[in-house]
Amino acid sequence: MNNRQDNEFIRVLVADDDEAVLACYCKAFDNDESTCESKALDALAAELFDPATDIEDQPRFDIVACSQGDDAIRVAEAAQEAGEPFDVVILDIRMPPGIDGVEAGSRIRQIDPDVEIVFVTGFSDIPLHELQRRVPPPMKLHYFNKPLSFTQLAVDVATMVRAQ
Amino acid sequence: MGAERRVTYHIIRQKVRYVTLGIGCYSYTLEHQEQVMSDFFRLIMSKMISSLPLQRKVSLTLVLLFAAFIVVSFAVLRTVIAPAFDDLELSAARTDLKRAESAIRADIENLEALSADWAPWDDIFHYVRGENPGFEKSNLFRATLTNLNLDMMAVYGADNTLKWAQVFLDGEEVPLDRLAILDAGHPSFALLTRHHDSVGQTVGFIDTGLGPMIVSSRPIVRSDYSGPIAGAVIMGQFLNESRLLRLQERIEVDMGWEFAAASTSSDDVIQIDAGAAIEIFPGTILSQRVLNDIHGTPYLILRAHTPRDISSLGSQTINAAMTFLVIAGLIVIGFMWFILRGTILRPIEQLTRHIDDIRQSGDLSRQLGMRRGDEIGILAGQFDVMTAEVHDARRSLLDQSFKAGKADTAAEVLHNIRNAMTPMINGLERLRKASDVTDKLRIGEATRQVANPDCPAERKKKFLEYINASFEHVSAVGANAAKELKIVISQARQVEGILANQEKFANVAPVAENIIIDEVLDEAVNIIPKDAEPSVLVTMSDQLHSVRVRAHRIGLLQVMGNLILNAYESIQRSGTSAGQIFLLAVNEIFDDKPMVRVTIRDNGSGFDADVRDRIFRRGFTSKTRGETTGLGLHWCANAVAGMGGRIFAESAGRGQGAEFHVLLPAAQGG
Repeated sequence: MNNRQDNEFIRVLVADDDEAVLACYCKAFDNDESTCESKALDALAAELFDPATDIEDQPRFDIVACSQGDDAIRVAEAAQEAGEPFDVVILDIRMPPGIDGVEAGSRIRQIDPDVEIVFVTGFSDIPLHELQRRVPPPMKLHYFNKPLSFTQLAVDVATMVRAQ
Repeated sequence: MGAERRVTYHIIRQKVRYVTLGIGCYSYTLEHQEQVMSDFFRLIMSKMISSLPLQRKVSLTLVLLFAAFIVVSFAVLRTVIAPAFDDLELSAARTDLKRAESAIRADIENLEALSADWAPWDDIFHYVRGENPGFEKSNLFRATLTNLNLDMMAVYGADNTLKWAQVFLDGEEVPLDRLAILDAGHPSFALLTRHHDSVGQTVGFIDTGLGPMIVSSRPIVRSDYSGPIAGAVIMGQFLNESRLLRLQERIEVDMGWEFAAASTSSDDVIQIDAGAAIEIFPGTILSQRVLNDIHGTPYLILRAHTPRDISSLGSQTINAAMTFLVIAGLIVIGFMWFILRGTILRPIEQLTRHIDDIRQSGDLSRQLGMRRGDEIGILAGQFDVMTAEVHDARRSLLDQSFKAGKADTAAEVLHNIRNAMTPMINGLERLRKASDVTDKLRIGEATRQVANPDCPAERKKKFLEYINASFEHVSAVGANAAKELKIVISQARQVEGILANQEKFANVAPVAENIIIDEVLDEAVNIIPKDAEPSVLVTMSDQLHSVRVRAHRIGLLQVMGNLILNAYESIQRSGTSAGQIFLLAVNEIFDDKPMVRVTIRDNGSGFDADVRDRIFRRGFTSKTRGETTGLGLHWCANAVAGMGGRIFAESAGRGQGAEFHVLLPAAQGG
C-alpha cells in the first residue's frame, strides 16, 4: 500500500565510513539553495522561451548521514520510535572499525521491516544470496557497486520509494 | 670446636633459608629446614639426572649395575664361599689331629698286644719262678727288642725282683739305673710291677727321666691265665725323634708333642672337646690334644700342624672367581652397552638430532631415512611421513596464504579505489550536469531580444533578469566547479596514494622457506608444452636433490618457469631440431655468503654482447610480436633481488646458446 504523496520528502539514511563518499551522498540527495535558484532560472527560461514546457517536479530528499553502522542503527531506531521512519537506508558493507553494513542492515531490518535497504560497496566477498538470507526480504534489498552515479542512485531511490 | 660447629651450621641454615626463599618456601624450624634441604638436594639430583643425555644415563646405569654386581658377588664369595673353605680347613685340621692321635694310640695298642702276648705264657711264668733257666738264653736278648721294635723290656718276679731288663736309647744300650721307672722308689714302679689279677695291665705314657715313653705292663701268668701271678712284663718305646719321624712318615701329618707343663696357648683358641683345641695362625692351623700319663695326669700335648693350603686355595679360588666375574661383568656390560647403543641409543640420538636439525633449520623436507624394522625404525618412518605431510601442508598453506593474501590485498585495493573513485565520478558528473545547464542557457537569444526594438519593455525586463540570473548561475557553476575539481583532484591523489601503497607492499619480500631446488625445477619444467616442437631434452643434474635454497617458493617457481620458457623459446627461434636444456645447481660462496648458483643452459639462439647489458631492463624483449610472453626478465630480476639473490646471463654470441645464472641464498641450517 502506497500512501505517499509525490511532493513529500523521501527520508534517506546513509552510512559510509568514507567522508568524501558521504559528501557525495549529501550533494546528490540535497535540496539546497543553489538547486532552488537553478529551478527559478529554469522556470524563467521556460516562461521566456518555451511557455509550453512543463517544469518537472524533482523528488525531494531528507538525508541523514552516518559514518558507522552502529550510528545508523541508533538513528533508525530513534526515527522509528519518533514515528518518522526512513524510507531508504543506504549502507556501505565495509565500515571499519565498527560492525559491517550487513550486520547493521540485519538489525535495522528488525527495527523497521518496511524500509528499503540498499547496499553500496566497492568490494564485498559476501555473495548476494547470503545478503538476501541475512537481510530479508529480497524485494526490499538492493545492491549497487561503487563507483556509481549518485544522481542516478537518487533517481533509483525515488523510483523504488514511489513503487512501494 | 662446638662453637665452630654451631657457626658452620648457622651458615648452612642461612644458605638453606636463602634457597628456600628463592623457591618460595620459608621455614622457621630446624626440622623444616632440614626437610627443605633434603628436598632441595633431591630436586637438584633429579634435575641433574633428568638433564643428562640418554646415552650417559644408560652408561651411568650400566656402571652402577656393574658396581652393584661386583659388590654383591664379592660379598657372596666372602660370606659364603670363603667360610666354607675355612670350615673345610678346620675339618682337615681335626682330621690331622685324629690321625696323629690314632697313630700313637696304634703304637700303644701294638705295645699292649705284645705285652699281652708275652705275659700269659707258661715259659716266662716258669722262668720268673726259676723253673726255666733256658728261657732267658733263648728269648731274652737284644735281637728280641729289635725285632719287637721295643726300646725297653723288663721282666720282674713275684717279689718285684728284676729278672731281666734291657734299655736302648737311639740304638745304644743304656744302663738300667738311668731308667728311673725301674727304681723301686719311682712313683710309677708299683703300677708297672704289681697287678692284682691275671688280666690286669698298665698302659700309657710315662716320664722315664730319659724322655717320654709309652709303656705296657702285664702280669706274668700261665698261658691259660691261671694263677698265681708270677711277676710282670714291662715293654716300652721312647717317644723320641726317630719314632716321631716314623709316625710322620706313616700318617703324613706334621705332628709333634711337648710336655704339658711347657705348653703355652693364646686366647685365640677354638676348643674341639675336653682336652682338644685348634689354634689358627697365618700360615698354619695348630690342633692339639692333651695326653695323660699312666697316673691320669696331663703329661704330653700332642700337636698336629695343618698348613693352610685349603684357605689359601679358597682365596685363590675367590680371587679367580672375582677376576672372572669382573671380566665377565665387563664383557656383559660392554656387550649390553654396544647392543643398547646400536639398537636404541644411536637411533634415538639420530632421531633427536634430526628433529633438532629440523627445528633449527625449519626445513621440513629433510628425511631421516632410517631403515629398521623395529619400533624405533617404525617411529622414525612415521616421523618422516609426518614431517613430509607437514611439509606438504605447510607448502599448501603458504601457497593458499600467498593466494589469500593476494586476494585480500586485491579486494582491499579494489574497495579503496572504488570508494575513492565514487566522489570523483560524482564530482565529474556534477560538473557535466552544470555544464549541461550552462550550455542550455539562452543568453544570446535573450540579448538579441533585449536589442530588438519590437520587444515590449516588460518582456525586455524579463530577458534582462534572465541574462542577469544566467550570469549569476554561470558564476555559481564556475565556483562550484572549482570545488568539484578540488574534490576530483583530491580523490585522484587518493587513488594514486592507494596505488603507491600497493606498490610498496608489492616490494615486500614474501615469506622465505628452505627449498630443495630439485622440487622447484621439477615443477617448473612443466611449463614446456608436452607436444613441444621441436622436442627439447631437459637434463637435470644429479646434485639438484641435495641443494637447498632459502627463497619464496611461488616466486622462485615463477622465475625458474620463466627462464626455462625463455630457453625453450630461444631454442625454437634457433631452428635447431635437437634442443637441449641443462639445469644445474651448485653451492658456492659469493660476497662471503653461502649461496646457490642455479644455471639454466640452452643451445638456443643466444645473444650478442650488447644485448647482455639490456636483457634485464624493463620492456626489453627478444621476441617477435605474437609470441607467447611470460612475466619478463625484468620481473625475474626484481623477484630474485627481492629474495636476496642476483641474476645474470651469458652467451658466446648469437646462435651459440645462453646461460642464465640465478644466485640465491643457501638454505639455513645446511
